[in-house]
Amino acid sequence: MSKITVAGVRQNVENLLNYSHNEKKRNFTETVELQIGLKNYDPQRDKRFSGTIKLPSVPRPNMAICILGDQHDLDRAKHHNIDAMSVDDLKKLNKNKKLIKKLARKYDAFLASEGLIKQIPRLLGPGLSKAGKFPTPVSHAEDMAAKVTDVKSTIKFQLKKVLCLGVAIGHVEMEKEALVANLMLAINYLVSLLKKGWQNVGSLVIKASMSPPHRVY
Amino acid sequence: MVKRKLGALEKVEADLPNLQHKIRRDPKSYIEDFRAQHYQYESHREIYMAAPSSATDTGLISLRDLIDFISHVADCYPGICKDFPQQLIDMLMQHHLVLETELREKLVGSLVLLKKKDLLDSATLLHTLFPILISTPSKTLRALLFQKILSELRTANSKTTNHKLNRTMQTVLFNLVTSDRTSAKGLWAIKITRELWKRQIWTEAKAVEVMKEAALSQNEKVIIGGVRFFLGGDKEREELEDEDSEEEVNVGQVKHQLTINKKTRKKARTAEKAIKAVRNKERKKGNPSPLNFSALHLLHDPQGFAENMFFKHLQNGKSNLKLEQKLQVLQLVSRLVGLHKLHIMPLYSYFQKFLTPRQPSVTSFLASLAQASHDLVPPDVLEPLVQKIANEFVSEASAGEVATAGLNAIREICVRQPLAIEETLLQDLVMYKKSKDKGVMMASKGLLSLYRDVGAQMLKKRDRGKEAAMSLRAGERQERRYGEQAVGEIEGLELLAKWKDEERRKKNIENGLPSDAEDNEEENDEADWAAWNVEDDEDSDVDGEWINVEDDADIVLSDSEDEGKPASKKAKQEEEDKKEADKEIDFMKLATTRILTPADLAKLTELRAQAAANATLPGNKGRVAAPWTSRHTDDPLTAGEIEGLAALSAAKATREERIAHAREGKTDRSEHMSKEARRKERKEEQGKSTTNKEKARKKNFLMTLGKARSKNKRSLVETRAVLRAHVDRGKRGGRRGNVGQ
Repeated sequence: MSKITVAGVRQNVENLLNYSHNEKKRNFTETVELQIGLKNYDPQRDKRFSGTIKLPSVPRPNMAICILGDQHDLDRAKHHNIDAMSVDDLKKLNKNKKLIKKLARKYDAFLASEGLIKQIPRLLGPGLSKAGKFPTPVSHAEDMAAKVTDVKSTIKFQLKKVLCLGVAIGHVEMEKEALVANLMLAINYLVSLLKKGWQNVGSLVIKASMSPPHRVY
Repeated sequence: MVKRKLGALEKVEADLPNLQHKIRRDPKSYIEDFRAQHYQYESHREIYMAAPSSATDTGLISLRDLIDFISHVADCYPGICKDFPQQLIDMLMQHHLVLETELREKLVGSLVLLKKKDLLDSATLLHTLFPILISTPSKTLRALLFQKILSELRTANSKTTNHKLNRTMQTVLFNLVTSDRTSAKGLWAIKITRELWKRQIWTEAKAVEVMKEAALSQNEKVIIGGVRFFLGGDKEREELEDEDSEEEVNVGQVKHQLTINKKTRKKARTAEKAIKAVRNKERKKGNPSPLNFSALHLLHDPQGFAENMFFKHLQNGKSNLKLEQKLQVLQLVSRLVGLHKLHIMPLYSYFQKFLTPRQPSVTSFLASLAQASHDLVPPDVLEPLVQKIANEFVSEASAGEVATAGLNAIREICVRQPLAIEETLLQDLVMYKKSKDKGVMMASKGLLSLYRDVGAQMLKKRDRGKEAAMSLRAGERQERRYGEQAVGEIEGLELLAKWKDEERRKKNIENGLPSDAEDNEEENDEADWAAWNVEDDEDSDVDGEWINVEDDADIVLSDSEDEGKPASKKAKQEEEDKKEADKEIDFMKLATTRILTPADLAKLTELRAQAAANATLPGNKGRVAAPWTSRHTDDPLTAGEIEGLAALSAAKATREERIAHAREGKTDRSEHMSKEARRKERKEEQGKSTTNKEKARKKNFLMTLGKARSKNKRSLVETRAVLRAHVDRGKRGGRRGNVGQ
């Protein structure tokens, strides 16, 4: 496809939502994903890129988050009904690789109190950063709920060992407008990251968890 | 007499090349002759196999000739030669130690030939050659086998990637490296893998895995081979690719030359070849770009690998690597740590004892330390190291180069982890910006300008600079906390939004519309996508860009509008409302409601560059972008960069060294020559013809001598005739003129 229009994107989103709502309704909330294929990209010369961006609305509200905190933060987490672990809990893991891996797999993201975060590499070893889930700091002054939403709505583009990547940009229960806004921002950000802009983009496809893919570009 | 006849007869019979030639033309009618020769070969072979060491010279020679002959025509009689390849393999495998060299080479060559004729598959061939390669003591045979194996793998992969063969070969190499970790045989695995990696035949993770195992072996040669591959293999590959692409042939020129010079078959052939090569290259351009990720990225478990390397080769007291080898290992480990953001806590304390100015090649240690720091390293681990560097290297009493290296190292660490330095230490170090030594002064200024960017509040008030101080006061900047990831945004988006807004107003005023009227944006979009390869000077194409602030329902509406006419009253009312909202919404709206076209992106970069230039304008004009902003995390840091200007300092380097260093920066400049000479050289290179004048000037002096002498001896009559002929010729229009006559 030679070009991408706002109207075309909207149409595709509409089709996708229509399929998931009316044609084949599933028993869970499907996630909408943006899949990107790159072209004319020489990983050796152009180097890898990575970037994070905050979307206007949360793409995956059900993300599991864990707070590694001191007493104050533990109380706040309890108040907001978020899972939390204290230093002692972490020490109990005893640097056991398996347990740490299990912990990393259990949650999608971590937050840590400012005082504690510096000890995380010593307490837990490389497990968390290996999984790409190194905690985000949160101070006592910050609003924890807001911080959690922040973390939830941040998505990461990272090129790994292949020339395609995918990111979650929303779910099917979202308003159409919000979904389109998320999608547009993600596309625009991605294109601004690439060295040659649109010339590096081979394809853009949106897809809900169990829907057929819709090619946007 | 009799003797001679006999010899001639023998010759005819044993004239194998002749027979070979005949068989090629007509295999069927010479089948009996072939059978006879094959029988002979069989008997020779049996004799040889029975007692390989006691073979006679003549027997060996005839066996060699027969093998050569049969392997050349084997494809004509597949039935008879069914066992031939296997026999050769057996002979080579069992007796390669005692085989006479020429026969041995002949066997190898024949096997390769049989592979070319498809009588032997490449897997068997490789399985035959490789074990001999690693076990034979003969140097010449090794060289031959190595070359044959490489070329075999290259041809097998020339059309399409032969995954199956590659996999088996990689497994063989992997097993070779892992089976016996103390032996030096792993070197062959390294050599083969490195060569194939360089030629982009092997680009996948399995090849990297072989090298990884090599780097973890116990033989130091193998270790260093593996480590060198990771540090330099990718660069080597890149260079080779550049070389290949440089050899461009100009088809037009080749064709042109063909029309001018004498036409020979050789020239026609070369021209054809050139055209073919160009066509191939064109075809390759259309192919999808190869997936050549750097070996460091393809590692399966970088954390485990780096940890293993560190504990096995560096931390381990028993490892017997030399200092320079250790440095290479350290370089690789630190590179991995920085690249993949690994956590190896003992690594940092390991550095502690090496950070003194007296340590040999300390700059390499400093570079490694800087490489090993990244933003997820806890600051309290790095702080003592930075402190130690400052104490050991940077003082008034220390030599200029030493202080420079120290400051540069601290800067490089702090680029990667700004929290690694304490406030008081930073303020002390920044004071060196007044130093008399140029290197120290520049290094200190580098540190200063870095912290103006990343942590101005740590600097003293007078050092912060205007820009940083202002943004600090406005509260725009905040120090990054440990573990915090910078949330990205589309840089310069607000500039673009503002610019678009202005453009719209301008355009509307031109058209006599109210400055805030909406317009149809579709056809502008069209133009933007058409301008796919936007240049820098395409301002004129893109003016008339619109910001789209419409909701979904409005798109239909604006599509139906006539261009250039004021909208209907109702629509106008709506727009009025929207404009109110427009002021409130931030530029994010731009990114979430429309898609940035190529033209938009070009404008974005332009605006960004402009803004950056404006920001630095009032200050020092010649300010160049700081080196750390242009560096990508994938690039390695070298000891040379840590040394900085010290490498150029007068006391150290001789004149030649300084010239060489200065020349390094300007590699693209050729030798100095006059314009005329350069033009002439270019002409010669392109194979263009020379003028008569040039020919005359270049003519050998001795050849001109005769004419000059005879000129002097002319009689008056002869002179007159010559002069008259000259005048006539001039009138005619030169020697080839056709006036008169």
